[in-house]
Amino acid sequence: MNTIKYYKIIMISMLAFGIMSSCEDLTDLNRNPNAIEPEDANVNLLMPSVLGPAAANYLSLGLDNMAGAMQFIHVSGWGDATNYFDWDERGWEGYYSILRTNELMIEIARRDGYPFHEGVGLTMRAFLFGQIADYWGDAPYSEALQAFTGEMENLYPAYDTQEQIYNGVIEDLKAAAALFATGDNTNINNNVDLYYGGDMANWEKFANSLLIRYYVRISEKNPGVRNEVEAIVASGKFISSAAENATMDYTGGPNDQWPFIYTDETSSTRYMAASTMIEQLDSTNDPRLHVWYAPVTIRWVPDNSISGSTAPTRMLVNGVETDILPNWIDYQGRTETFTKLYNPNDTTFDDDEFVGVPPGMRMSDIHTYNGAYNGAQGRFNHHVSTLHPQFMDGEPTEGDLLQARLLSAAEMHFTLAELALKGWNVGGTAEEHYMAGIQNSLTTWGVGDQFQTFYPNVAFDGTLEQIMTQKWVASFSNATEAWLDYRRTGFPELTLRTDVARAPVPALRFGYGSDELNNNTENVNAAIERLETTQYSGPLGKNSVYSKPWLLQGTNNPW
Amino acid sequence: MENKIFKMLMLGMFVLFAFQSFAQMQVSGTVQDDTGESLPGVSIQIKGTTQGVVTDMDGQYSINVPNDQAILVFSFVGMETQEVDVNGRTVINVQMAPSTIGVDEVVVTALGISREKRSLGYSVGEVEGEALQRVAQDNVLNSLSGKVPGLTINQTGIAGSTVSVVIRGANSLTTDNQPLFVIDGVPVANKLNNISMMGSDNQIDYGNTISDLNSDDIAEITVLKGPSAAALYGTRAGNGVILITTKSGKGAREMGVTISSNTRFEVATELLKLHYKYANGERNHVLTEGSAYWGGPNLDAGIIAPQWGLDEPAELRSYPNNMRDFLNTGVTTSNNIAVFNGSDRGNFRISYNNMSMQGMIPNHDRFNHSLKTNLSYNIFDDLTFTSNVTIANTYSNDIPSTGDRRNNPLEAVYVNSHIPISRMKDYWLPGQEGIQQKALPDYDNPYFIAYGMSNAFSRDRVFGNVALTYEFTKDLSVTGRYSLDRFKEERETKIPFSAYRMEKGNYSLQNIFFQEYNADVLATWKNTTDNLDINISAGGNIMKRQGSESFVGSGGDRNNGLVIPGIYNLGNIPLDNITVNSSLFRKAIYSVYGLASIGFRNIVYLDLTGRNDWSSTLPESHRSYFYPSASVSWLVNNTFELPEAFSLFKLRGGWAKVGNDTDPYRLQTTLATGTWNSLVTEAVPGVLLNSDLKPEESTSIEGGFDLNLYTNRVRLSATYYKEDNVNQIFSVPLPLSSGYSSKLINAGLIRSEGWELTVGGTPVDVPDGLRWDVDFNFSQNHTTVVELTDDLEFVQIWSENAGAWSFIGDQIGDIYTYGIAQVQDPNSPYYRYPILGNDGQWIRLNQQEDWEKVGNFNPDLLVGMQTAVSYKRWNLSASLDWRIGGEFVSYTYRYGESDWKSQRQLDQLIPGGLMSPQELVDYLKSDPENNIIPRNGKFPRVGGHTQETGGMRLPDGYYDGAFIPGVIQVAGADTPDDFSDDQFVENLGGPGTVLAPITDTYPWSYNRNVTFDASFIKLRELSLSYSLPDIGVIKNASVAIYTGNLMLWTKAKIGIDPERAFQANSGTQGNTVSQFKQGFERQNVMPWTASGGIRLNFSF
Repeated sequence: MNTIKYYKIIMISMLAFGIMSSCEDLTDLNRNPNAIEPEDANVNLLMPSVLGPAAANYLSLGLDNMAGAMQFIHVSGWGDATNYFDWDERGWEGYYSILRTNELMIEIARRDGYPFHEGVGLTMRAFLFGQIADYWGDAPYSEALQAFTGEMENLYPAYDTQEQIYNGVIEDLKAAAALFATGDNTNINNNVDLYYGGDMANWEKFANSLLIRYYVRISEKNPGVRNEVEAIVASGKFISSAAENATMDYTGGPNDQWPFIYTDETSSTRYMAASTMIEQLDSTNDPRLHVWYAPVTIRWVPDNSISGSTAPTRMLVNGVETDILPNWIDYQGRTETFTKLYNPNDTTFDDDEFVGVPPGMRMSDIHTYNGAYNGAQGRFNHHVSTLHPQFMDGEPTEGDLLQARLLSAAEMHFTLAELALKGWNVGGTAEEHYMAGIQNSLTTWGVGDQFQTFYPNVAFDGTLEQIMTQKWVASFSNATEAWLDYRRTGFPELTLRTDVARAPVPALRFGYGSDELNNNTENVNAAIERLETTQYSGPLGKNSVYSKPWLLQGTNNPW
Repeated sequence: MENKIFKMLMLGMFVLFAFQSFAQMQVSGTVQDDTGESLPGVSIQIKGTTQGVVTDMDGQYSINVPNDQAILVFSFVGMETQEVDVNGRTVINVQMAPSTIGVDEVVVTALGISREKRSLGYSVGEVEGEALQRVAQDNVLNSLSGKVPGLTINQTGIAGSTVSVVIRGANSLTTDNQPLFVIDGVPVANKLNNISMMGSDNQIDYGNTISDLNSDDIAEITVLKGPSAAALYGTRAGNGVILITTKSGKGAREMGVTISSNTRFEVATELLKLHYKYANGERNHVLTEGSAYWGGPNLDAGIIAPQWGLDEPAELRSYPNNMRDFLNTGVTTSNNIAVFNGSDRGNFRISYNNMSMQGMIPNHDRFNHSLKTNLSYNIFDDLTFTSNVTIANTYSNDIPSTGDRRNNPLEAVYVNSHIPISRMKDYWLPGQEGIQQKALPDYDNPYFIAYGMSNAFSRDRVFGNVALTYEFTKDLSVTGRYSLDRFKEERETKIPFSAYRMEKGNYSLQNIFFQEYNADVLATWKNTTDNLDINISAGGNIMKRQGSESFVGSGGDRNNGLVIPGIYNLGNIPLDNITVNSSLFRKAIYSVYGLASIGFRNIVYLDLTGRNDWSSTLPESHRSYFYPSASVSWLVNNTFELPEAFSLFKLRGGWAKVGNDTDPYRLQTTLATGTWNSLVTEAVPGVLLNSDLKPEESTSIEGGFDLNLYTNRVRLSATYYKEDNVNQIFSVPLPLSSGYSSKLINAGLIRSEGWELTVGGTPVDVPDGLRWDVDFNFSQNHTTVVELTDDLEFVQIWSENAGAWSFIGDQIGDIYTYGIAQVQDPNSPYYRYPILGNDGQWIRLNQQEDWEKVGNFNPDLLVGMQTAVSYKRWNLSASLDWRIGGEFVSYTYRYGESDWKSQRQLDQLIPGGLMSPQELVDYLKSDPENNIIPRNGKFPRVGGHTQETGGMRLPDGYYDGAFIPGVIQVAGADTPDDFSDDQFVENLGGPGTVLAPITDTYPWSYNRNVTFDASFIKLRELSLSYSLPDIGVIKNASVAIYTGNLMLWTKAKIGIDPERAFQANSGTQGNTVSQFKQGFERQNVMPWTASGGIRLNFSF
């Protein structure tokens, strides 16, 4: 009997011990082992999270939606935002979410005394808020990014006016330039500076060049900025040669993809050339045409001997006449030169080597434009040019052209040419800056050696229109700047068909995103009230993409 | 021989178990019912001890009693309990009489405590194991459909996919609303979010982990619906508890074996209603192969054209049977063998199960093997050891992606109208096997997806417990128990070269580990006097949960997945494109709880419970929270003299509060790490966490009655409940300009209210003859957002073209669509006509004030019906589900109709080209509601694909033109409130009407066009079984044939099962934690299916 008792005691205590021994401290258990607490953040690890996405977003806009708006390209599928200004509801997560991390970088740089990081933080804050003001107009600024305080009123920030944001942008850039001027680069790891590899002098030039960009942006409303611009130009500390361009290289890592890669021949050709830019480049014999665009795959060849039919049945493959390959798939991956014969008396085709689609056309007409037989959504149209394959294959190599371009010497020189034309003192004549702009652009795109032969085709005629036209051309892959210049000056004069587009001219702003309309309704509505309708605003009224924000109100620009 | 088989079985299951007996004095005998039939399974206990035995199949028993003065207690469900003095006798035969006070049914309740059902003050649902085993299922939850009122079962798609169980409606924004599953006292993991994306757009639903349990092992399922019933389980029981009791060897007196085998076949019945009139292309005069549109040349009209996969041009023909030709007959088989035995000291049951499923989609399969033991042994008279352990492996070689676009073999089947699927069957280009599939550009070959791509997984699972119960005295016992649930799951995806979205293939591996253990102690004290029956239990629990996940695979450059084709190895992923990540979590809850149950003279029962939890996931100041419950059951028929017809009349009511914690690591925002080229980076995430979280709290009341008449020939039961959820922890959306996309808060009041009603009866009951039972259940639930925070007016459930949003005061589940510009002036002749843009298209109004409500995804009423007819050895039973009301949004139709594939849309077209312009204008205006103004399911359009079908002539000379009827505003748009200056021109077919090719006229931005009524009737089960007479050693043999899941009727009539409007995503939706969009489906194009099968079982 006693043994039984011991057995019982042993068994019960086994169980009891097993149960009791498992208590642990609950607070310790809830310490996240997977992540870093904000106060331990490392500014060098934060910096790429700001610079990378900021540049990538700028590129995406500049080579897609804005390139569509400025008639560099049109897309052959899913093109409402690129071809037809469906900008009514644009979220700004690509801006404020980067700014959120940027604020932490600035805070820690200040706490720990890293002027370089702080300067980069201020420059990027200006770069991002500047774009928010450019695209949307009024936006949360002084009350923005404060949700972390936990105070309820900070969750729903009021909107500052576009003017206030521009003023803040300018103040930040001045402060950044001053920090860069100290040369104190404590704690910088050159690798994390994706733009300049740790070169502080170039950052100072970038900050100053952004200052010039924004002074000029608001110059119509605030002519007093002239002195500021002249002072910067006099200091020489701005981006004046292509080597100093603010750019970011793509390396092709998992999160570092060139944003325009498309898997196969069919979907990559979503990026078709727009006729406006092709005609501009063609008419001036511009060497950049071959850098940016690809010739048509199947070129039309006029042949008066064919008659009686508008539907050609014969074609040449490497010059040898044959039946037309019936299926577009048959052309895939082949290297022969294909041409098709047609009779110009029966029908009209564009038989140039480079062909663009006219802007604003109905999507199904784009698919079959210029005699394409079997076009479809996103489909290759063999009779229209596309972007050059290097911009669509997206295979990065050392020293290639796959870069995000934030600000260039070409832009600066064209800007200064414009100012010189107005009589501002910007260290050179309008013509000198105009030529430097073209030269720097050609250098950027690897055809700098052709300047001498090309320049006579676009020799300076002393007009603002010509400066703005060449500036527009030079803005390939960062067409946002061209669009903002268009808004400000009305050049180049762009029109489009209204088959599908709502108006015959480019839109003027982005509509506020659903996220603000739904979650910050009162504040965004107050901002919408401050917009000014135009003749193209339509049933959407003030919130239309054709309404004017503060910067354009009271001006006749662009129309 | 028999013995040998037994031994081999036992050895095969790695179990040896010895029995011993201590002979003192043996009493034996036979137990019969009042008709003289022997009664198996009668429990015989020596009074004052826990020793007992159960009668065998022949009603015989044998028990060792300590002395000749012992008292034996004979008890059996539905029979009057008897106490018999041994008085030195060695043979005692007993005749049991039916119990007079209705059913004395015993149910398992919280913490595994068995209770008489009549003593419960809350509503529980019960399903007998047999009802679950009738139809072979890949997930046992499917068998619950329609059998318990208040239970809503949804499955996302194909067999094996996640099954959701929601009790009394979704009332939490913060959990997946799934009940807690407890198997023999072990809480086991079962959740909804089982979807992961491995490779670009390759979202795979791996199914619930509860599917590791095989229905053949289940003795009974009890559903504790409300917090009153579940309060003792605390935190995790806020959505109810499903208690599963598995079979044991209890009651066996000799070695027994049962074997069952069940095979089910599944075939397609109804497909999407597509037109198959036109080939692929955007224009009727152009064949464009690979175009998504079905607006090309006429099919079956003798048109000869060069075609994909053919050397010579051939006639364009339609292939409406492509889907049927692609699908296989699905086969699910499950087999079970169990061995059991028992004695007065203990019992065991060991079973082995396997389930194998070959899906209807080629290459889709799923397998499950499990081994289960149940042991109970009285080590000493006062110390009992029990244990249940299940070891299971569930795996699949390939689960196809079916709930979305891309990588979905079924979507790929529906790409072409003019290419026979057989032409695609050899899916590699000759000479390029493994490198280049044969497919139309922009699409994958469906066979390539099915056979080339694979999404495999394998999960090893162990769950079970060990427990010791010690009886200090006959009234006081203590149980200590340790239970564990642990699984490890590996997922592996292989995608070959040339996949459309991944041209260099993909290889991905995911490892998931999960473990939860619970250690608990429960002391129980009973005291029974003449008037009072008191039961008090108190105990404590330590719950710990931990888990980890890791992923390695091809990275963000989706066209750089692998180096060498066909080699699926981590070393074959390019170094610059390999993604690696991992995470782990831990969580603990410590609890103490108590329960008091007081019964007064079989008249009134009062239950009181209280529990206090300490959760690691909450801040120290709010970590501890207490919640009580109380319920009363009053047996009116025992209180008053009621007419004899009243077998049972019970009133019940309960009140309960349940606290809830949250997930780990939600108190402080921490930085996420990532990469940018080769750099490791840090970034601030967009979700703002909250260091001041409080526990959530739900308070509920429920009340109802049970009424049984004429010895249960008529059964009626009704329950009303109301549950208030306050302090819910959920993320509220913020405007991004605040810096964050959402913030975690404690707020709100979400209220669920509803009722359940069951009505049943046995209209026919001839002794030894025909018996017919029929039971109906009805339930209705409304969940309303009563309060949020001061600044918040809504929560977003999911968003698609507006989507499902719940505003304060409204029911959860409302579905909205973007608004459309329409003439607002009631005095205008064009009142409510759409205002079109200059391009002739509708104008979208996206501001919230302009949204329009188009429906709600919740049903108005759910009705279930079970019926059974038995005659001698035959039994016919059926189970039917009827869902009334509610809407769903079909993005299958949105995509399909924007590509002009549906027959419905062609039928709706107004053939304007067949009328003169004036006739057309007059016709349209004659019935604007039908011809002009958009409504649910219909946006009028005028035109056709060809001249014959009423197409309008376009400027290019072709007749596939169409237009949208409406008006174009030419003045007054800038003053929306002033109608007086408005001017419109008609776009009704007269001069100036804006025409477009028909394929360009689709209301893409408006869910209204694809919102359908979700009502349906389904015949879940229909089975006919026959019990064979015993043949030699073969006993209890039966054969059943059945059909499962027959869809009988849907209101929408579009070939989509409304139950599948429950889309799975790899990310969470809106402000919820759910990966599912309820009331929404997208490319879930699996046809309706019907299944049939056969079940065999016998024992020896």
